[in-house]
Amino acid sequence: MPARRSRALLLLLPAVLPTAAVLGVALTVAVLQSTGLVPVVGEPEPSLAAYRELAGGRALLDGLRVSLGVAAASTALALAVGLGTALLARTTRLGGRLLRAAAAATVPVPHLVGAAAVGLLLADSGLVARTLSVAPGEFPPLVAGPWWAAVVAEYAWKESAFVALVVLAALAAGERELDETAATLGAGPWQRLRRVALPLAAPAAVGAGGVTFAYVLGSYDVAWLLGRSSPEPLPVLAYRLFTDVDLARREQALAVAVVTTVLALACLVLTAALLARTTRRAPA
Amino acid sequence: MSRVAPARRRAGVAPRVALLLAWFAVPLVPLLLWAAADRWSYPAVLPTDWGTTGWRQALDQGALPALGRSVLLGLAVAALATPAGAMAGRALALHRVPARRVVEALLLAPVAVPPFAVVMGLTTLALRLAIPAGAGLVVVLAVSAVPYTVFVMRAAYAGHDVGMEEEARTLGAGPRAVLLRVHLPLLAPALATAAFLAFLVGWSDYVVTLVVGGGRLVTLPMLVGALSSATGNDAVVAAVSLTAVLPPLALLVATALLARRGAR
Repeated sequence: MPARRSRALLLLLPAVLPTAAVLGVALTVAVLQSTGLVPVVGEPEPSLAAYRELAGGRALLDGLRVSLGVAAASTALALAVGLGTALLARTTRLGGRLLRAAAAATVPVPHLVGAAAVGLLLADSGLVARTLSVAPGEFPPLVAGPWWAAVVAEYAWKESAFVALVVLAALAAGERELDETAATLGAGPWQRLRRVALPLAAPAAVGAGGVTFAYVLGSYDVAWLLGRSSPEPLPVLAYRLFTDVDLARREQALAVAVVTTVLALACLVLTAALLARTTRRAPA
Repeated sequence: MSRVAPARRRAGVAPRVALLLAWFAVPLVPLLLWAAADRWSYPAVLPTDWGTTGWRQALDQGALPALGRSVLLGLAVAALATPAGAMAGRALALHRVPARRVVEALLLAPVAVPPFAVVMGLTTLALRLAIPAGAGLVVVLAVSAVPYTVFVMRAAYAGHDVGMEEEARTLGAGPRAVLLRVHLPLLAPALATAAFLAFLVGWSDYVVTLVVGGGRLVTLPMLVGALSSATGNDAVVAAVSLTAVLPPLALLVATALLARRGAR
């Protein structure tokens, strides 16, 4: 039906057009500028100098290591806690309502505010140190320390709520009936968890995990506030280079932006592939 | 149908629920304590002197104008991203869409493309084309919000009964009446959720505002960032942070109530 088809296109336009324009233009400019084709000053001249210079120094490699490490640790923790919350919430009525409300209440907390709060909690003069009455100077450096503990804690906290809500939404679509049928057929709680709840939760968890990983990889504020100044995660490195008085550094900043974007998009593609496998294996 | 639940298993549930509730609540406890502390010297577990110094300092630091800017930014992002997401969601749920996979991937992409990369790429161009900073900021954030509004509205339209609209048309309602009296009221809860999520994208943003505004456009997260990167500001950081948490929390409760009323 051509009439309906053009109607669908018209309906899509207000979302598709700005998205394509903003992402397309931004990424094109980033690629062009990082390869010397749109210099801030001087004549355009194609070169991979920005990438070569970055690859030669330690900053990019360190950034990759820190960013991927923090993203992996945060995602693993968020998935564990979020899945645990969702699976627990479905077994108890009152507890389930409370857990749902608690998870929903963390969603509107901006990440930077979460970071400020986690700082007040985990700093060497924070609430945890006070509660444990640790002598000044003996508390482990969770904030701005070598293990990025406070950064991972903030991401794990916010994103575990996201994972829990996404998984709960997926479970709401018919888990109860399947679960009760399995119970009637004599399946024990452990079997029902493994054969009913987990297969239903798996696609949602995979999707939420992929989104969390990509988000943490590209997020600036929490690592900037709670991390140490060196080595820098990729977004922090990019912002420092971007705001350097030496305008030539901008090309390197955009190169870091391109590298981070490629990684995040690869993560999303990988998630989609994984999702296709999980949904195929799950009993419908 | 009663569920088989041995007493032993049941007994373990309450502590686990309590533990997870603590996980979600504990990070906000130091904010509440510091916001009510005039003085809180180190080893003390509770504030040494209670008071409202933090809130007074927050006012002096411009928390009110920052709150106003954050509200405006959130509303502007929601105003753009909600209708766009609703229309795209309707198309994806109810119509035959050419190149569906490509469209879906594109509308999901802003979730994965790091905002700092987008804004750094655009800034160069925006400067050359002299695009006003505020407009650029709103458009970039609205695009970041589109995946969420599309997701919510698509799910809502998938469960939406188009038959109601057709029935209203048969009964003589014009397109305007169908939209305002049938279509939109049925989708009000989903629209509220989508608008809330889009509002949060503008309300929570830090890095896009930082790069576009160069630090001169002070929203609430910008103020929290500036204050908490210096030491000794704990009380005022807590006050501004709570200012950034409480309004959307109130909005969340309101949306939940609206959704419940709509479900009835």
